[in-house]
Amino acid sequence: MERFIAGLVKDFERGKMDRREFCQTVALAAAVYGAGDAANAQATRGFKMIGINHISYACPDYAKARDFYTSVFGMESTPGKDNGKRANLMFGPEPGKGGSFIVARTAPTDAKPSKAVVDHVCYTIANWDDQKVRAALKAKGLEVGGREGSLHVFDPFGYYVQIASAEAENAFRR
Amino acid sequence: MEGFVAHKLAEFEQGKISRRRLIETLTLAATAAYAADRAGAAEQPGLKAALINHISYTCPNFRQAADWYSKVFNLDQIGARDRDVAMPFGKKGEQPYNVAAKDVPLTHLIFRTRDLNPAPAAGEAPRPKVQAVIDHVGYTVADFDREKAKAELKSLGVENVRDGGLYSLHMTDPFGYDVQISGLANNALTDG
Repeated sequence: MERFIAGLVKDFERGKMDRREFCQTVALAAAVYGAGDAANAQATRGFKMIGINHISYACPDYAKARDFYTSVFGMESTPGKDNGKRANLMFGPEPGKGGSFIVARTAPTDAKPSKAVVDHVCYTIANWDDQKVRAALKAKGLEVGGREGSLHVFDPFGYYVQIASAEAENAFRR
Repeated sequence: MEGFVAHKLAEFEQGKISRRRLIETLTLAATAAYAADRAGAAEQPGLKAALINHISYTCPNFRQAADWYSKVFNLDQIGARDRDVAMPFGKKGEQPYNVAAKDVPLTHLIFRTRDLNPAPAAGEAPRPKVQAVIDHVGYTVADFDREKAKAELKSLGVENVRDGGLYSLHMTDPFGYDVQISGLANNALTDG
C-alpha cells in the first residue's frame, strides 16, 4: 500500500495526475484495502468444514435400509451399534478419521416438518467403470437410470440414490 | 469338501495312508478351500461408496439457504445458476480429508429451488412414492469445542442451538431443517 501511494505522489508531483484524481485514487485504494481486511476478518468466523459426519435416514424398517446399503454400496454395519431399531452404516475413511455413516432408523418420516428437504444423496465410486457399475447394480435386481458417469437407483423406500464418478459430478466442473 | 474328507478318512482307516499323510492332505485341502472362498468373495461384483459426492438440498429460496451455510461453515458458492448453486468443502485442487484415492472429489452441497414432483419425462416411469426421509445431516467441523461452538453460533445469529448427545450440537437452518455439528469424536463407533 505504501509503495502504491508513493507512486501516486510521484505521479502527482510530476503533474501526471491532478489533485482530484489523486484524492479519488487514494480513497478508492483505501476502500479496497478495507474491504479486503473485512473479508479476512469474516473468514475467521464460523466453522471449518471437514466433511459429512452422518446422515440420519428415517424409514418404516431400518433393517431393509441396512441390508440395501451394505449389500449395494459396500457399507459396513458398525459392530455393536445395531439395536433392532437403528444401525450405523459406515463408509469412506475410518471412523474418527473423516469417515461418514448413515444412521438408518425405524422412525416416523414426518416427525420434523421442514420447508427444506434433502431430496437425494450422491456417492462417489472410485475407479469408475460405467459397464461394471451398471452390471453391479443390475446384479442386485435394481432398475438403473442416468447417464455415463452418473447413475441412479431407488432404494427400498423409494429414496433416490445417485452414484457418480469424479468426472461426472464435481463442483468445480459445473 | 466334506466328501473329500470322508474319502481320505476312509483311506486312513483302511491303512491306505498314514496318519501324517492324512493330516497333511486335509490341511492342504482346507487351506486351499479357504483361499478359494476368500478369492470368490473378493470377486463378487459389488460397489463401494468412497465418500459422499454431494447432498442435494431443495428449499423455497436456495440463495438464502446458501448464504446461511456460507456464513456458518465458511463455504464458497460456485457455479451459481438460476435455480441452484454448489458449495464444496474446500478449494479447487484440495483432497478430501483422509481420502487417498485421487479420483474422489471434495464433497459439496447443492442448494436448489425446484419442483420436487415433476411430471416424468417422455418414456420415463413415474418415481416411486418416497417413504423415507433424511431428517438431519451431521457435519464434521475442525477443532470442535461444544461450548465455544455454542458461543460462536449465538454470535452468528443461529437459531435453536441445543446439545446433541455427548459430542455435538444441533441447530435449525433458515428453513427449519435440523443441522448437527460435531468433531471427529462423533463417529460410527461412538454415535448411538
